[in-house]
Amino acid sequence: MSKEEAILSIEDLTIGFAKQRKMNTVVDHISFDVKKGEILGIVGESGSGKSMTALSVMGLLPASAKILSGGIHFFGTNLLNLEEKELRQLRGTGISMVFQDSMTSFNPLLTIGAQVEEMLRLHSKHTKEEYRALTLEALTEVGLPNPSEIYNRYPHELSGGMRQRAMIAMAMITSPKLVIADEPTTALDVTTQNKILQLLKKMNEKHGMSIILISHDLRVIQSICGRAIVMKDGRIVESGTVTELFAHPGTEYTKQLMAAVPVLFSRSDPGQNEASIMGLKENANTNTEKKDNNADQSKRQEEILVIRNLNVFYPEKGIVFGKKGRKQVIRDVNISLKQGETLGIVGESGSGKSTLAKAIVGLNREIEGVIKINDVAVKDSEISVSRPQMVFQDPYGSLNPTKKIGWILEEPLKLQTNLGKKERMAKVNEIIHQVGLTSEHLERYPFQLSGGQRHRVAIAAALIVNPKLVILDEPVSSLDVTIQAQILGLLKDLQKKYNLTYIFISHDLNVVFQMCNRVCVIYKGEIVEMKEVRELFFSPQNEYTKELLKSAMATV
Amino acid sequence: MKIKGKTCSFNYILGLVITSLVILIVLIGFFYTPYDPNKMNAALKNSPPSLSHLLGTDNFGRDILSRVMKGAGTTYIIAVAIVFIGALFGTIAGALTGYFGGWFDEVLMRFNDVLTSFPSILLALVFVSVFGPGTYNIVYALGIIFIPSYARMVRSEFIVLKERDFVKNAKLMGAGNFRIMFVHILPNTKRVLIPSLLIGFNNAVLAEAGLSYLGLGVQPPQASLGRMLSEAQSYMLDSPWCAIAPGLMIILTVLGFSLISGGLENE
Repeated sequence: MSKEEAILSIEDLTIGFAKQRKMNTVVDHISFDVKKGEILGIVGESGSGKSMTALSVMGLLPASAKILSGGIHFFGTNLLNLEEKELRQLRGTGISMVFQDSMTSFNPLLTIGAQVEEMLRLHSKHTKEEYRALTLEALTEVGLPNPSEIYNRYPHELSGGMRQRAMIAMAMITSPKLVIADEPTTALDVTTQNKILQLLKKMNEKHGMSIILISHDLRVIQSICGRAIVMKDGRIVESGTVTELFAHPGTEYTKQLMAAVPVLFSRSDPGQNEASIMGLKENANTNTEKKDNNADQSKRQEEILVIRNLNVFYPEKGIVFGKKGRKQVIRDVNISLKQGETLGIVGESGSGKSTLAKAIVGLNREIEGVIKINDVAVKDSEISVSRPQMVFQDPYGSLNPTKKIGWILEEPLKLQTNLGKKERMAKVNEIIHQVGLTSEHLERYPFQLSGGQRHRVAIAAALIVNPKLVILDEPVSSLDVTIQAQILGLLKDLQKKYNLTYIFISHDLNVVFQMCNRVCVIYKGEIVEMKEVRELFFSPQNEYTKELLKSAMATV
Repeated sequence: MKIKGKTCSFNYILGLVITSLVILIVLIGFFYTPYDPNKMNAALKNSPPSLSHLLGTDNFGRDILSRVMKGAGTTYIIAVAIVFIGALFGTIAGALTGYFGGWFDEVLMRFNDVLTSFPSILLALVFVSVFGPGTYNIVYALGIIFIPSYARMVRSEFIVLKERDFVKNAKLMGAGNFRIMFVHILPNTKRVLIPSLLIGFNNAVLAEAGLSYLGLGVQPPQASLGRMLSEAQSYMLDSPWCAIAPGLMIILTVLGFSLISGGLENE
């Protein structure tokens, strides 16, 4: 690494938080360079210090954080010695940032155009017409259709992907030398994710600016970065070119991170894949045949869920005392599911995946058609012990924040069984150990647990009443890869143990591939394709499925 | 500063100190006062603070310290009763309307709007002039007037909270509507409910003082802070101590509770 071409060099940087008079170090003596025109990836779990590093470069550290040692040199000047005024000038013209959540990073009360233009106004002098023209040009460049229309739109009127494009336009409009992108695609679904990453790459090639791309997702790093740094607990554990890192990971941690990425179907080269698929397919075929033969004797293949000609509606708000309209979200869906099976439901956000799930568990009653669970139609089974349970995407929202874990787990037993206090507590103790926690956790509140632990509690709460069917709505998408792998493992173990049936909703095709027997693809409320998982992944028939798979592959 | 491991602001601590002091005075007043608060003494009319009468006496020669102790107690009990009525019915109404929505919500909220569209003191005046002055009547009048603000607040909290996943989860478990409303959702409103109870208490103290000052609330010879202020009015210039003591008590009460509720909100 020669010094000449490094535009940013961080030397021996240490950042800490003052916590009860002790310093809690979050970034621990790290040094690295960013060269001109390169895309550098920083990867690590949450809490590894990657975001803190980025914020320190921007001079945007929270007030409670202190830089304890080291320097941040940008074109030779140490940013830590700059006055606030000089720093402000540098942000924008020298370094700019793309944030994770484009909804909260835009001011909801100003139009997109005004906000992108604001960046330009602060850092250059033009006439009013020139400002507008330059802004429109920037919006066009990031691939937004009808830029003059988008210019006058408000943030909430754009989709997540479009907002992220607008944010990139805002970051790039002043032609900075360095762009820091902090988890720029985490909140997006795969198809959009890929497009945004390609856009970043295009901008990098066209304007020659350097990019620091921060992500917890190795696939994102792998897809566009030249070099990457792996961080853990505030330290750099490994760095090198991406090809090197992926081919020969040097440390246990990197290996762990990579192993945790549930990539199976596209890692190996196509030929090999084809062969192994054929083999697996045969296996799968013989397996199902065997199962079919056994079906009569064992009840394993019993149909647990039958959905016929299901239409689901979303009530639209009527005017006061007015007639209420309704919007059709799910169109003519047919599914049948056998006990012990895992059905994956994939589709873009807004395709109706979650609506379908809500209809199955009975949270949405605006339905036409038949949903039968254990041969009982959903409408009749208001309170039945075997009703399906659901694990929500965000356990922080699905666990009551004012109740202790013990109470949360006991509640379903109180409502659905006639067990006494002692028996209930025994069951609670049993299930908490089943999901890999201890009785000590029962006395805690949800906010006192980590993200992974909360997920375990949410799973325990769903399983405690012995349901046969469990619906998992994006159960791991908010987790780090390593914890994701643990939770998926736990789900598989529990499935084997209790012969559970899962409906697995996800936009992450790799996770679906790993978990499911069958997959159905939903597009605009209709099932466009439903097949055995390998068949669907390796020989998709539908055009939409093909596109979905292609974009998922491209991010790998 | 820290209490039970939580960091607390200086204001919060100051509020706690002031409030506990004021409440201590009132509690002692229930069991012991230096003199009988209603006993008149013609020889000691309007005498300034002295060793035997620490805060002086009023125009009937009654000991002001004793009357403040007793009177603050009366005012507090009335204020607590007002807040209790307002918060109880307000919470129930807010929970029902926020949770169920629909026509029920519309009807109750329009009624709420009607109540809030009149100045509250004016409504209380109308109520009292219809049913006659007296301690119970101002409790009812002010209690009813306090309902809308709680109803509105609890309703908006419920509207937000009922969409949260833990409520859906409770539905899936088979919890009934009322269990969801009062066991699952209600505890989550305490973050806004508790500070507003404290503020409500303040407002009730002030409202009681106002109505009693106008002669509509607590009737003589019974003491309350507002009553005492009203009686002291004619002698403001000759014997200001008659007004200063109850006035100071009101200020300390309101200040203490405001500081605490401010501290709770900033948590």
